[in-house]
Amino acid sequence: MKFHQHVGVIEAENEQALVEALTIARVQARVLAKLAPNVAVLEREDAALVIDALQKLGLHPKVMQ
Amino acid sequence: MTRAAIDPRKGYRAGELDFFSLVETVIAKAPRVLKNGLPNLAFFRAANAALAQPDNEDEGHGYTQVEFWLALARELDVLRIVQDRLETGPGAAQFFGLPFVQRRERMREAFLDCRAMNDFALVPELELPGLKKLGTVDSLSDVPGPEARSAARRTVLQTALGCLEETPLRKLVQLLQTQSPGFAMDHSEDTSWRKVHYRGIRERGGREDVERQGGWDRVEGAYIRWLVALPFHRLGWLDHNPATQTFEPLDGDEGEPSFEIIVQPNFEVLALGDRLDAGQLWRVASFTRPQAEGRVRKYMLEKKPFTDALGSGQSAAALVALLAELSRKPLPQNVRFSLDDWGASSERMKIWPDALLVEAEGVEDLASLLPEVAREKLGLTKVSGGHFVAIAPDAADLRQNLPPRRTALDYSRRLAPVIVPQQGLRLHAPAEVLHLRARQLLELIASRQSADYWLLDAKLVTAASRSMDPEELRRRVEEALTRPLEPAHALALRGWSGEFAPAYAGTAEVFLCHNDAQAELMETLPEFAAWVDRKLGRGCWLLRQGGAAHLRKLLQGYGIKLRDHTRRT
Repeated sequence: MKFHQHVGVIEAENEQALVEALTIARVQARVLAKLAPNVAVLEREDAALVIDALQKLGLHPKVMQ
Repeated sequence: MTRAAIDPRKGYRAGELDFFSLVETVIAKAPRVLKNGLPNLAFFRAANAALAQPDNEDEGHGYTQVEFWLALARELDVLRIVQDRLETGPGAAQFFGLPFVQRRERMREAFLDCRAMNDFALVPELELPGLKKLGTVDSLSDVPGPEARSAARRTVLQTALGCLEETPLRKLVQLLQTQSPGFAMDHSEDTSWRKVHYRGIRERGGREDVERQGGWDRVEGAYIRWLVALPFHRLGWLDHNPATQTFEPLDGDEGEPSFEIIVQPNFEVLALGDRLDAGQLWRVASFTRPQAEGRVRKYMLEKKPFTDALGSGQSAAALVALLAELSRKPLPQNVRFSLDDWGASSERMKIWPDALLVEAEGVEDLASLLPEVAREKLGLTKVSGGHFVAIAPDAADLRQNLPPRRTALDYSRRLAPVIVPQQGLRLHAPAEVLHLRARQLLELIASRQSADYWLLDAKLVTAASRSMDPEELRRRVEEALTRPLEPAHALALRGWSGEFAPAYAGTAEVFLCHNDAQAELMETLPEFAAWVDRKLGRGCWLLRQGGAAHLRKLLQGYGIKLRDHTRRT
């Protein structure tokens, strides 16, 4: 068990949705780890980019904060 | 029935709605905060316009009410500055979640103890020019400090509450002047030549400080009148009548809230009623976009604030139920359908922009390994793959709830280098010390040899450099390694990533001079320049193909013979 503090985490409905979100925000190459097919860990700034990119397209993910 | 219960424009509930209007304006505008720590003028105008009885800008007093409520909101942590913007703080949900009587007590205590609010700066009749110079050493001011201001508020309040009937304000001022003339400022040395003026306090528009002789009513009196007219009246201690300049205490019974909301098919929510409750309105405002303009309280149902509310821990069903509960009529079908759809669609993608991630390694079952108390306190929820995630807690909370002998890797900082370069291109990276950044790097640039050993891979590095700047890649490698790579391997890595263009080794035609003087003369020959590809150094040029033969022939024409070797002469 490892504790990672201050990272960005995305959990999508499925792998395809996750890949789409990462691609839209152009952060696919900066993913720190994929812990499951539909779960990605990113730096916080990159997670914020994903939120911004999705919101610009009118898609509103559930932002846990 | 009490006075406050009869007239909903009086008492704390009415004042709190002004406070709430300010909060709504902040939610709607998210104003930028200037260097002086205050929002811009446009915000003040908008917030003032949303008040029940706005200040008149033309009177030149500024926006006293907005400043007053703003100071209290900051004191209660209902509003706070986040990255140069004024936003609602964590105290907002806490404050508006309290029952009415407790909210009132908290607000009143916040006012009485508020250190940041300089009451004298808010009194319309007074000016404090000294405020601008308080940073300098030689500036002297009689304006009371935070402790004295707090004590002064309590003294005036006690005296005012002691008046049981309708009392002229003039009488309260006289009473305080007789009973406790020094309640705000020391007057024991008023006869001394050193204490002629109220230093740093002027009447508005005045050119000199107010004289102490005969100035009590103009300074302390004005302060008392302001206290009664704004804080004591709006916080529901007293009822102030500006027409007759009288006041009388209120008994605190403000009656039950009575209002309803109307949800319209165009997603507008209107709050109507003569006794609106700020606690309930906050719940509506927390998942809608308040329209701060105008007196009618209007909220727009939109997807973003709705999903944001879900992200902060509320459930879609509870929010729909709240609207249905406050609305006398059933919700329009299209609205209910959209809210359900927004709730369902937001569940398809969850993002924790600043998270604590508890990663399960191998076949670990975190549900059984993590104590339930710690899971609850940290707010951890399970995600796919058996891992747990929570909104990043404070460092102290995290320390308290971590299992024994565990530490958290903090990604807001640079992490320790954990990859050890071995002989050749081998890298030693023990799984138990690897953090996510190191793992990402290894996946990018190396192939796995065994559990803890990796091998730098030229193809992977080249591929990685297509999606990342080569210098950024090198920086990451240098940060992750416990010691620098051997020079040959560093050279190789920078070559694979494309940071270094391929070098050349082979035959070439060059022109070498004996010394600088010879080189200078050669450069003056136009025929020579025509054959030069580029200068390599002092007296050394790379020639274009065929240049050597051509120049040899040219110089022979001048009787100059060139040597056939590159050895030093």
